[in-house]
Amino acid sequence: MQALIDALRKICGDGAVLCEPAALLAYECDALPHLRATPAVVVLPTSTEQVQQVVRACAAAGVPFVARGHGTGLSGGALPAAGGVVIALARLNRVLDIDIPNRRVTIEPGVTNLEITRQVAPFGYYYAPDPSSQQVCSIGGNVAENSGGAHCLKYGFTTHHVLRVDAVLPDGELVSIGSDFADPPGPDLLGLLIGSEGTLAIVTRVVVRILRRPEAVQTLLAAFDTMAAGGAAVSGIISAGIIPAAVEMMDRLAIEAAEAAVQPNFPRTDTVLIVELDGPEAEVRETFAMVEDVCRTAGAVSLEVARTDEQRMRIWRGRKAAFAAMGRVSPNYYVQDGVVPRTMLPEVLGRIRALSDRTGLRIANVFHAGDGNLHPLICYDERIPGQATLAEEVAGEILNYCVEAGGSITGEHGVGADKKDYMPRMFSEDDLAVMQQVRDAVDPQRLCNPGKILPAPRLCGETPGPYRQHPVEAAGLGERF
Amino acid sequence: MAAGSATAEIVTPADGPQLAAALHAAATERKATVISGGGTKIDWGRTASRIDLVIRTSKLTHVTHRFGDLTATIGAGATLLDVNRELAQHGQWLPIDSAFDGATIGGIIATNDAGPLRHFFGTARDRVLGVTLAMTDGRLVKAGGTVVKNVAGYDLGRLVSGSFGTLAAIESATFKVAPLPAVSGSVRIRFVSREALHQRAQALAESPLELMAFDVHAAFTRDEAVYHLLVRVASTPVATATQLEAARAMTGTDADVLCDGEEAELWRNQVRDPWTGTGAVVRLSWRPADLSSVLALLQDMQHRVEVPIVMTGRIGTGAGTVRIDGAAPAQVAAIQQLRSASLLGNVVVLRADPVVKDTIDVWGPMGSSARVMDAIKRKLDPAGILNAGRGPI
Repeated sequence: MQALIDALRKICGDGAVLCEPAALLAYECDALPHLRATPAVVVLPTSTEQVQQVVRACAAAGVPFVARGHGTGLSGGALPAAGGVVIALARLNRVLDIDIPNRRVTIEPGVTNLEITRQVAPFGYYYAPDPSSQQVCSIGGNVAENSGGAHCLKYGFTTHHVLRVDAVLPDGELVSIGSDFADPPGPDLLGLLIGSEGTLAIVTRVVVRILRRPEAVQTLLAAFDTMAAGGAAVSGIISAGIIPAAVEMMDRLAIEAAEAAVQPNFPRTDTVLIVELDGPEAEVRETFAMVEDVCRTAGAVSLEVARTDEQRMRIWRGRKAAFAAMGRVSPNYYVQDGVVPRTMLPEVLGRIRALSDRTGLRIANVFHAGDGNLHPLICYDERIPGQATLAEEVAGEILNYCVEAGGSITGEHGVGADKKDYMPRMFSEDDLAVMQQVRDAVDPQRLCNPGKILPAPRLCGETPGPYRQHPVEAAGLGERF
Repeated sequence: MAAGSATAEIVTPADGPQLAAALHAAATERKATVISGGGTKIDWGRTASRIDLVIRTSKLTHVTHRFGDLTATIGAGATLLDVNRELAQHGQWLPIDSAFDGATIGGIIATNDAGPLRHFFGTARDRVLGVTLAMTDGRLVKAGGTVVKNVAGYDLGRLVSGSFGTLAAIESATFKVAPLPAVSGSVRIRFVSREALHQRAQALAESPLELMAFDVHAAFTRDEAVYHLLVRVASTPVATATQLEAARAMTGTDADVLCDGEEAELWRNQVRDPWTGTGAVVRLSWRPADLSSVLALLQDMQHRVEVPIVMTGRIGTGAGTVRIDGAAPAQVAAIQQLRSASLLGNVVVLRADPVVKDTIDVWGPMGSSARVMDAIKRKLDPAGILNAGRGPI
């Protein structure tokens, strides 16, 4: 290992190679802190060529490596291989080209999601995928996870907005995947790579599409006495042929938490629904009236239309703060991410409520109602013996409900290290074997982000367990999202 | 049908397990195998030297429409026309174009064939949520799922998109479908100047209008070049009327506004025009801002090779289809000129006389990622039976 570390120093310089235990601490986990492992070394390259050389050195030494963006992932996708190399891409953070006439921006992987929009906003454009962590998450991580966001119902995911990437393969060779032009011939490798959670290559350059800002945006906050009534409103909107930009739902506990944290002034009811429409003004005006009618018919007890940008921001602040806000109502919580067919939402939410009653753990629901993506937040207190384990079991049981309803074990957080053992609930041995074949075709040495996505015997350092506070958190330097 | 198929054995599996078994048997016996849906694009790609087996998907026509979830799982052999008839019963559709009545879902995914609707809806690969695939080792596997949001596992639906049946046989796919728009209308305007067309197109692109389709049609002969700009708007009644009026005002007072049957015919012709006659048909792409230069290039090409040329294309994405009439040597010269133009990328010959296909590689340069494609191909089809050497890998 020392020989490899020396080689990395030669490639990237002394200041870009970390192997002191204190320096490695910050890289032990991503935003899923109960999974942690200590790498032997962290290297911070500043160019594609350095990434290539680092990967070649790892491949030659047979040492596993894990690419890392800004560490905001929620599935342990950037969890280091114990004793391996972390290739942190934070210093590859340049905006390389802004091409407004062709509506595209070329960036390095360490650029944050929101930075793309900041760069093109003066021209009237934006980058559509908007994960809640968009202020801090990196575009490289977005490519790895195929990130979506509240507005993916209408605008799709990262995979719909990337034209081309430069990627370093697990043997160090640099390839261009996708094309600056439409319709590159052959299998859609770009579509395979996006969402492959860093297991097939390390992306060093990304060309994304940008969109023109819609002419009009209208946001509605509707309150309901029951979740069933809120669900009926969502069904009514979809069956009226309307595809809103976003449809978000929060239950009583989530409303309470958001209120305590950021005071969005949501009504104190059982359920709130946030519906946002965007597009040409005439269309938004016409469909917004239809949405209001649907909500009233479904039994909305109050309707608030955001008349100003300030009001709209306040509503979204309440929604986007919901995860972090749980800290206000519970000492600890576990964020789950699962998907059900939208029509199965009432049934699955009923099962989650029954599970909460049975286990005594409170569960808040904040979710993308338009596409059936649930984010149950399971509240527990780690000081009470057994509760952390119970919370993990409850989270796993919710995934069973999602799979039984015909859904998925993850809608946007990824499988990573966290959910790989749930993959057999959704996929057969044969399904997984073919995915492994694809992986082996690209990474025959199995060095590129090993131990993620596909179930395998656990390695030491990967044992799941109750949440343990990150040293950064303990020192009061950061908090959980 | 490609050359060499006259003596090929034909099997028509009734379900997924039969499809997988047929593939496995073919791999064991090392039979050069072609998977065929409606056969509407079977002559795309290179000329096969030998085809031992044709597997037809015509019995895989099941459709499960979950209209409340806006999804549908569709057998590879179902035709797009039949699928859309079925989805329309619940006011929905799969918004994909095809120039061919018999085009099947499997063939559309395998070729990633697309038309004007891609401006708003993307191509087939953008709407595939999950797939069931038959592998050459006899496995029948799935990837993705039936929900509109899902990031579990590798997206093999994307991997087989554009693969031309070189990696696996598609048994079925689940799509995100869309509500049928309440009202639709289109505007068509004729130009004699490509610069004028480009200017109007840029103004439209910069406008707040949300267009469902945004196309160009260009026809070049020795005597003239005629250009049309085509715009489609489809939404709620007032919104459609308002946007149509805005589009008409921006394109000029002599614009035709078309609705109902006339509109349907406009777009049908736009999709089918490159495929009429017998000329070579080439797919090509450009950077959207280069539209005017690309039209100039095509006109220049017409002057050099002196055969009629028709081009239809998507203005927003910079993707088009060109038909080059005339004799084979002129077609070859024209295609070589397209390939050498830095303005253009991904110039792929779809339909052409075998003489043309034997003279130039239909796929063109595959770029640096070809080695990844080849590695995956070797893993999934180690006997190399699939697609009989016609495909891109």
